[in-house]
Amino acid sequence: MAATGISESPAEATPRTTPAALELRGATKEFRLRRSRTVTALASVDLAVGNGEFVALLGPSGCGKSTVLRMLAGLDTPTRGEVLVNGGAPAELVRGHRLGIAFQEHALLPWATAYDNVALPFRVAGRPVDADRVNALLSLVGLEGFTDARPRQLSGGMRQRVAIARALVLQPEVLLLDEPFGALDAVTRRRMNFELARIWADQQITTLLVTHDVDEAVLLADRVVVLTGRPGTVRHVEDITLPRPRDKALTRDAEFHDIVDRLTALLDEGAE
Amino acid sequence: MNRARTTVLTVAGTLLLLAAMEGVGRLGVLGESWPPLTQVVAALDDPITRDLLGRALAATATAAGTGFVAGTLVALVVAVVGALLPPLQPGLDRLAAVVNAVPLIALGPLLITTVGREGTPAVIAALAAGFAVFVAATSGLGAAGAAHRDVFRALGSSRRATLLRLQLPAAVPLLIDGLALAAPAAVLGAVVGEWFGAPRGLGVLLVSSMQNFQTDLMWAAALSAAVISLTAYAALAGLRVAAARRFV
Ligand SMILES: Nc1ncnc2c1ncn2[C@@H]1O[C@H](COP(=O)(O)OP(=O)(O)OP(=O)(O)O)[C@@H](O)[C@H]1O
Ligand SMILES: [Mg+2]
Repeated sequence: MAATGISESPAEATPRTTPAALELRGATKEFRLRRSRTVTALASVDLAVGNGEFVALLGPSGCGKSTVLRMLAGLDTPTRGEVLVNGGAPAELVRGHRLGIAFQEHALLPWATAYDNVALPFRVAGRPVDADRVNALLSLVGLEGFTDARPRQLSGGMRQRVAIARALVLQPEVLLLDEPFGALDAVTRRRMNFELARIWADQQITTLLVTHDVDEAVLLADRVVVLTGRPGTVRHVEDITLPRPRDKALTRDAEFHDIVDRLTALLDEGAE
Repeated sequence: MNRARTTVLTVAGTLLLLAAMEGVGRLGVLGESWPPLTQVVAALDDPITRDLLGRALAATATAAGTGFVAGTLVALVVAVVGALLPPLQPGLDRLAAVVNAVPLIALGPLLITTVGREGTPAVIAALAAGFAVFVAATSGLGAAGAAHRDVFRALGSSRRATLLRLQLPAAVPLLIDGLALAAPAAVLGAVVGEWFGAPRGLGVLLVSSMQNFQTDLMWAAALSAAVISLTAYAALAGLRVAAARRFV
């Protein structure tokens, strides 16, 4: 991947040359509802995210995007097929505290301040809290004045930003983000998008981002994977070869809009 | 505003209850065994009675307090062991249920021979309080939400770290509810324990004054037990208000 840093099209060079960091092989997930009634959330999904690659996952609500992330985090296991992280079980990455994850429902500890919530991964890992790092991340997400605030004193979007800071604080090797910017206004959302792009470029964190915002997906990702409605299957994979670093100007670019329109159309059909 | 209303209602209710006690006593509708409240209080003018009651009160409060603290500590340790070693959990739950199912009074003879008459009140208080705390602690340690447990699992948290940083803080509100129930239970346990021949205490005073038809003294002892019980409960209820602000 080192060679891809200056390449104009990292997506083409990255995924196949190195073993996938994250991989789903024919992963099917069924949930048991009541006796003998099951719902198939995902049907034989194949998906590979290369080392240091940024992949965005699009799909209609309920198609299993969160389920994909949960399986990669080792919180769920596939009914059939395989889910691999660095070629092995997801548990290993988790055990080394090298996974950063931001859940759809932020899940901050209500009794802890914003600072303590962001510092939590250090404490859980049994490492001394790096206060500078915690404060730097809090100001990165625009919350420097709220270090002592409890979650219920924060707005929904502010809580999401605390959760993102918590996911990043240990400089994870793999980052799983489940609609991390869903509750943000358009301006803050774009600003956070560019911050995330910068962090990703700096540290080459393997990232899988679930989002409903097609612009965001195209802006950030090396590849965009579109899932069909339930049961979720891979409908389309789009390599995004737009040059990096991508900035605001790109959102006015014709090619950018082309891709966004095409993916939006695919989502539309997928939802039927 | 709401707070003020609650306070007013509490005070009004208490006064009404005391007035009713006084009234029933004055009218003598329930016979001589129900004296007016003023007469019970007047009995305390006698320094000997006051001294007697004071020593009994101190003994019962000490036994109840010791039992409360010991019972709470043991219950917490057992609940934490259950949380750290899940296979033990069902067994511990059943053990606690069995201990609780045995009427405390039936343990008297057993305790007299093992811990002696002096130790029995504190031990019964500990059993009564410990069960309430154990039940509260076990459900409290399981009270953390699924989303929070997922966060800890994904962070690679050890069982110990999860207990310390998630389960214990999440258990605080339920735990304090449990303590608020355990405190009156400890007082009752201590009084019952004193019936098995303890040298002093409100329980002893209750029995002896009953047998000697010292109605005023008997009521003074009963009211003293109620006052300890209510004071302990009120203190813990205050703690709960503080905790609700901090932990929810
Ligand atoms: N624990 C569970 N038990 C039963 N069914 C579940 C469970 N978790 C998810 N499902 C089902 O699996 C399907 C996929 O859920 P998932 O949360 O992965 O969707 P999603 O793509 O993340 O949706 P959204 O975009 O709305 O967040 C849904 O139909 C849901 O009802
Ligand atoms: Mg979801």
